[in-house]
Amino acid sequence: MHGAAVVFAALSVLLGAKEPSQTRQSAGSFLQIAKQAAQAREAGRLADAIRLYSDGVRLRPAWDEGWWSLGTLYYDEDRFEEARRALARFVQLAENPAPALGLLALCEYETREYDLAVGHFTEWAAKKPPASNELLTVAYFHWALLLIRKGEFERATVLLNARARLGNSGPELEEAMGLAALRMARLPEEYPPEEREPVWLAGRAAMQTALQRPERADQEARMLLRHYDAHPNVHYFLGTVLLDSHQSDAAAKQFERERQISPRHAAAMVQLAMFHLGNGEAAQALELARKAADIEPGNFPAHKTMGDALLQLERYADGTRELEIARNLAPESAAVHFSLARAYQQMGRDADAARERALFTKLKERERERTSK
Amino acid sequence: MIAALVFFLAMQTPDFDSVARQAAEVRDASRTDEAIELYRRALELRPGWKEGLWFLGSLEYDRERFPEARDVMRRFVASEPDAGPGFVLLGMSEFQTREYARALTHLQRGLAQGLGGREEMTRSAWYLTAVLLTRFERFDESMEVLLSPRFRERRDARVMEALGAAALRMPLLPAEIPAARREMFSIAGEAASAFAARDDVKAATLLRQLVEQYPDEPGIHLLYGDLLMKSRPEEGIEQMRRELEVAPDNIHARIQIASEYVREDKSENALPFARQAVALAPGASDAHLVLGQALVGSGDLAAGIRELEAARDAAPKDSRVRWALARAYFAAGRKADGDREAAEMERLKSAERKSEGSR
Repeated sequence: MHGAAVVFAALSVLLGAKEPSQTRQSAGSFLQIAKQAAQAREAGRLADAIRLYSDGVRLRPAWDEGWWSLGTLYYDEDRFEEARRALARFVQLAENPAPALGLLALCEYETREYDLAVGHFTEWAAKKPPASNELLTVAYFHWALLLIRKGEFERATVLLNARARLGNSGPELEEAMGLAALRMARLPEEYPPEEREPVWLAGRAAMQTALQRPERADQEARMLLRHYDAHPNVHYFLGTVLLDSHQSDAAAKQFERERQISPRHAAAMVQLAMFHLGNGEAAQALELARKAADIEPGNFPAHKTMGDALLQLERYADGTRELEIARNLAPESAAVHFSLARAYQQMGRDADAARERALFTKLKERERERTSK
Repeated sequence: MIAALVFFLAMQTPDFDSVARQAAEVRDASRTDEAIELYRRALELRPGWKEGLWFLGSLEYDRERFPEARDVMRRFVASEPDAGPGFVLLGMSEFQTREYARALTHLQRGLAQGLGGREEMTRSAWYLTAVLLTRFERFDESMEVLLSPRFRERRDARVMEALGAAALRMPLLPAEIPAARREMFSIAGEAASAFAARDDVKAATLLRQLVEQYPDEPGIHLLYGDLLMKSRPEEGIEQMRRELEVAPDNIHARIQIASEYVREDKSENALPFARQAVALAPGASDAHLVLGQALVGSGDLAAGIRELEAARDAAPKDSRVRWALARAYFAAGRKADGDREAAEMERLKSAERKSEGSR
């Protein structure tokens, strides 16, 4: 026996390190391990596969395929911390790491690294890598949960509704929809047990809204009133359901009721402001939208509605200023660009108006493409 | 020099066997925190040590450190995929960390693998399974568990509330039941229990009390209707209709009304309720089943078979669907198809009997 090997064997005994991998240092042994790892995986011997892939990446730390396999194997066993570490290594090493970003974000959700998860979901969705339907479903669902946690209820609802329209259903999706509907910035595993019933009822109604069944949504939403008439956000939600079925007067009543329960409910104020604007009551709209923007300075619909109200009041310079704030807050909103084009036109800024119109058209086309997909 | 190095490391490095032995000793002495520390150290030395993972997971669970228990048990079941108690302890930990879907999967897997005579653990696992089935709106399965012989002897307040939630078809865990209506759930549980024990007098008394106390609550008329349907179907249908006034989208009430009309050979009466049930819940096998039966009963065999096939696709393990489909195929002169479905029904029935025996 070679001298160094003797020392290693002795140390191994003392350290309790019995894994044969630590003696496998040559390229030949790496290839052998890689082959055995793949065979173990294919044969469903997952514990062996994990051990062998771990050996493989220890011998060759730049083996991106090994990190990927290790990450997915750990993920399948719900061992998310280990999976996260392996997938993060893969993302560092791989030429095209995009397909792994969704899975990495899912691991980060489980290890409660929520900001990292949101970042990776966003990057993953922007790169649009090929993905299985199963991954798409799980990833978009968890991304939506994180948006809810951040209080981005409308964005979360868009993602959840899309899942519902693709035929996904079930209590977990409804629960997430319920949280978004009642504007509860919590994850399903975090919200208080006493909120479960209203979340369940709101989720049922929100599911019907997503499936574009306004009558059923209305019926389900009214079930909430039986016990949760004074619960924050219930009337706001009912108002949005009524808006979906074009009952704007009834919706406005619900938004008013919500304001009685939650006097600083910025979203209800914006909805009421839009209602007044639709009725040509620009001064009332302006007052409400301004209050909403004071409460939530980053609320782009508040600034947009203020801008629209000011245009209706022929206060074009003020209106333009508000609409520019709205555009900066939500550059992807086609409606903001449309309003801004009108404002610039009134101000005689033809080139700016043309630019905003072009942006509006482009964003609308993109929306149509998304809808058709 | 090598000898010196080996000696030095031997002095510095803890020995796995001695750490493991110490861990067991302090565990036996109920010094839980020390035991946890020692098991962690032993597992650092030997990460795949199954016994250590099991004890560490159990101790963390006893200490109510559920995320830690969960993570340890995930490692344990990965190395010991046939260990029922491991999956159950994992599921119980996940229940506490509110990962309910995973908890249900793991509890069911553990129970299927068997817990080797651990009576208390088995009972807890079945209870948690039942409440999770309710949470996932699998009310009938939940009731089946809670009404099984396992709970017959000790159907305490906790079980009654869980049974009440399932009977009222409300997907709430006992901890999620609104405090103001906790009594309603208990009474509903008592009624469901009496009903299952064929104590119809007690069940009817309790249900009448519920109807009087909570006339506008969803689920109450449905439960009462279910009871009445057996002996006084007209009154049962009336209660179901009242349920539809309280909860207009209730699918179960429609299915029950349609099923009763099918039983009474009044397929034309059954059809509108069955059609509404399918429209409300296109994925519900029971809705397709009753619509299929009503269509067959009204003479539209082809449409009936289509619905029954949809019911079979939605619930391939439901022997009632197979039987209805077999009869429809025979009526349509499709003997081979009928024979196949009848054989499948027999196979499923036999599996159901075995499963009931093991529960």
